[in-house]
Amino acid sequence: MRKEEATYWITLAHLPKWGHLKINNLIIKFFHENKISIEEFFQLHESIWREQYQLDEKQVSDLKQAKSELASIAFLAESFFSQGFDLIPITSPDYSKILKSHLKVAHAPAVLYVKGNKRLLEEKSVAIVGSREASENALKFTDNIAQLASKEFKVVVSGFAKGVDKQALDSAISYKGKSIIVLPQGIMSFGSGFKNYYKPIIDGDVLVLSTFFPKAPWKAELAMARNPIIYGLADEIYVAESAEKGGTWSGVVDGLRKGRKIYVRKSESNERNANNLLIQQGAIPVDFNGIELAQLNNLDNEEQPSIDHEQTAPESLDVKIRTVFNGKPLTAKELLTKLNLSWTSQKLNSYLKKLDFIEIIKEKNVNLYQLKGESNIKQTTLLFK
Amino acid sequence: MIRQEAEKHLQQTFNLTKFYDEQWLTIVKLLKGEKVLLIEKTGFGKSLCFQFPATVFQGTTIIFSPLIALMRDQVKKLSALGIAAKCINSEQTPEENTQIINEAKQGKVKILYIAPERQENSEWIEATRQMNLSMVVVDEAHCISVWGHDFRPAFKRIINLVKLLPQGIPVLATTATATKRVELDIAQQIGDNILTIRGNLMRSNFKLFVVKVSSEDEKLMWLGKNLHNLPGTGILYTGTRIETEIYSKWFEHLQLSSTAYNAGLDAESRIAVENGLMNNKWKCIISTNALGMGLDKPDIRFIIHTQIPISPIHYYQEIGRAGRDGLPAFIILFYNPKDRKLPESFIESGRPAIEKYERVINAVKSELLGERELMRHTNLKQHQIRVIKADLMEQGIIRELMIGKNKKFEFIPESKPLSTKVFDELRKAKFADLENMIAYVETSQSRMQFLCDYLGDHASHTFNNCDNTGEKRIKVAVSPEWSEKLQNFRENYFPELEVESKGSSLVNGVAASFYGVSHVGSALHRSKYQQGGDFPDFLLKLVLKAFRNKFGQEQFDLILYVPPTSSGDLVKNFAEKISQVLKFPISHDLLKTRNTKEQKEFENGYLKTDNVHGAFTFETPSDLVGKRILLIDDIFDSGATMKEIGRLLTNFGAVKIAPLVIARTVGGDLV
Repeated sequence: MRKEEATYWITLAHLPKWGHLKINNLIIKFFHENKISIEEFFQLHESIWREQYQLDEKQVSDLKQAKSELASIAFLAESFFSQGFDLIPITSPDYSKILKSHLKVAHAPAVLYVKGNKRLLEEKSVAIVGSREASENALKFTDNIAQLASKEFKVVVSGFAKGVDKQALDSAISYKGKSIIVLPQGIMSFGSGFKNYYKPIIDGDVLVLSTFFPKAPWKAELAMARNPIIYGLADEIYVAESAEKGGTWSGVVDGLRKGRKIYVRKSESNERNANNLLIQQGAIPVDFNGIELAQLNNLDNEEQPSIDHEQTAPESLDVKIRTVFNGKPLTAKELLTKLNLSWTSQKLNSYLKKLDFIEIIKEKNVNLYQLKGESNIKQTTLLFK
Repeated sequence: MIRQEAEKHLQQTFNLTKFYDEQWLTIVKLLKGEKVLLIEKTGFGKSLCFQFPATVFQGTTIIFSPLIALMRDQVKKLSALGIAAKCINSEQTPEENTQIINEAKQGKVKILYIAPERQENSEWIEATRQMNLSMVVVDEAHCISVWGHDFRPAFKRIINLVKLLPQGIPVLATTATATKRVELDIAQQIGDNILTIRGNLMRSNFKLFVVKVSSEDEKLMWLGKNLHNLPGTGILYTGTRIETEIYSKWFEHLQLSSTAYNAGLDAESRIAVENGLMNNKWKCIISTNALGMGLDKPDIRFIIHTQIPISPIHYYQEIGRAGRDGLPAFIILFYNPKDRKLPESFIESGRPAIEKYERVINAVKSELLGERELMRHTNLKQHQIRVIKADLMEQGIIRELMIGKNKKFEFIPESKPLSTKVFDELRKAKFADLENMIAYVETSQSRMQFLCDYLGDHASHTFNNCDNTGEKRIKVAVSPEWSEKLQNFRENYFPELEVESKGSSLVNGVAASFYGVSHVGSALHRSKYQQGGDFPDFLLKLVLKAFRNKFGQEQFDLILYVPPTSSGDLVKNFAEKISQVLKFPISHDLLKTRNTKEQKEFENGYLKTDNVHGAFTFETPSDLVGKRILLIDDIFDSGATMKEIGRLLTNFGAVKIAPLVIARTVGGDLV
């Protein structure tokens, strides 16, 4: 990119309410199809925007507004570059290829804001994600994976949150590995971070990356929006620990839905987390060293997660369950009523999935349960794709 | 907009009837959204070239200017015309600046003056996002170029900003003084089809004189005798801050109306002097070249230099402030062949040793450091750090960051190693400039033509306005009467030691002399370092005289002296003699608690302060309660030792502590 284009890229990347898809489609049109620069695109008469680019009135007026703000953005851009930040537009050969191929036109951000060693974007990479309030086990696992990755010259991608993220970063640094930090805020709002990671950044061991407006402050939404970037930048994804809701959980579920292979540390029986639930949702269980374990179906009862305190004795509950079916498949909700249990349906769902005498039938995205061999309803896939 | 229409608007808004052709040419380009570099002499009316279009444009025009005085001055004038002009600068309170920024965001400011350094301020950057910006102006654009006479690193960022501006935003860069080399450098840096408009530099109302002398005394005497014969009011430029003090005391001694000005003054004093200058409060202001650039006073009638500037371009820039009204102005330059030593040493010492650069690079490689931390890590003086820092930034080896509100320096990974080639080239260019300045002194041809040629204005004019072309030469005659006056002044002038601060009983003290200005320094050096025995009696006499001059018949309860680092009992013996004469009792109880190093080993104030911090104690503190103390030492340098002892004695109950020393150093003396 010519530096002179920076102002235009920053403006285009954050057109309000356009979303990645519209912005990327526009880029494809002017850059790839019409082969003009972004600067030239902005100089075009609005009639050409309308006719040749088929932009509607709202879009034309958004672009006109953006154009009038270019001079102001230039002041920001100068401050940005003077502090050693750089930006990589999606048209640049420096843009992460793996991110583009994972997120595609619908989700790939138009611009990456970076500071540090850009070449780390070309390396094989491992993301390690997990809770902010991580257990000792999760942190040890994270340290282990970071060490293995570093040994294999893979870059560790993490999100700079407390807990697992920080552990992944600090471990990678301590094992002389490389790291990419994906920020939940604008890159110019990361002041003290640059101070604390000064040495690894200038030594080329760390790349700090953000996709948000450079001055955006930390926000919960941005932390959520950053997760797909972490996943997108990684060849392999490891989950150290997840609760039943929150950023890690929804990140993994989203990843699974997009068809990513996600490795989850299989938790010990005395742990309280939702790791094994994720495994039931289709994540791949791994041991402490990241080695793939047999699939969920082979897990035996001793290894079941015990996420509930008000343990009902399993045997008696199992007997009860066998008795409530009358040949008809039931939803978890219906079962809860019949069993007179105070569990959440999610909890019952996961419990049921582990019972070898129960089978699951999918019907319009709802899981129905029945005793094995009892039904003639057509059985669909056992596990989520 | 056609010219006729524009001139109608000009009449309505600025009370002026028409544009000069070059002004109009510039304005037309700016109205079309183009970039222009305008080089015109002081007084041409460069400001109108951006002020006029600024009033035509919808949004706000931003003017980067390095000179606060100029900003204030122009804002005042524009406001008087009813044009919404404001400036943001470090001398206003943060609240005032925030208020102005808010007005700009609401579109209430047409013309906004700011210093280039403002780009470092994140509140400002944040605010620009909500401003509607119409044009960017870079005033004093020669500050962009290292080949200019006043390169300022902060201007580098302005260049980067200009490059990032979208097409169609007009940019004007202006300067009064640019050689061809500087002109090309500016145009090339701003890049992309910038149009250069250059006017002529001839100042026919100047009367240029060079006065050759053979001593500093001759300068003092001629000025003492003739200053009041010069017409109107003007400025006397000296080479150093200390000289502004000496000249000002000399004029005070002669009861000539004058005041001293230098960049070390606080903002309030500076504004007071600038206002006084505008109102002709004094016959003459004595200043380093910190004063006057961009000051819009039409009737400065004389500008005198007691020291040759470092190049003809500096000289043209400094004298350019005279006679803007077109009426005659006297331009006088004193020259003693020995004077070339000062600019030579500026050039030689302009760059620290390469080893010091390496020290800074290594420090910055291992840690993110601010200026103070860097001074502590490297034991370098502040001004050296600043020179090194600017060079390293220029070469892309380090960059400046804002971490919160603090500036830190960051190493740039994979940057090229330090190149000294540029330094050598610049050094050579500077020596060549100095030779040209001396050639100006020595020329037997027209001096004005010499300056115009040097600055790249080769237009033909009639030159008859100097002492080589018709004006009568100035010669200095030394008379016994004036020699005596000067002698008298020397024996009655004692430098002040400024150490007063809140919460301390320390008061400003006095030195018998400056270290380097008289034979006092060499006498001290002999005693201290060449086994010359006790300080000689003439020093005692001089110190006593300084004491009487400053403190009169004031009584003190106790004499203390600063315990030595290495020079034995010299100060003790000296203090005992003073005690005998003044009949104040002496105490030997002020002691060191630990060994300190000699202060001169440290290059900066922070390390000097660290060196003496907590290093002193007093044996019987109860003796000090309610006491007035005279505190004696041989040499006063940064004042760190005096301040440290002052703090200790204040804590022990002393009510007044007055320092009395033999000599005060002049920045950078090797003692």
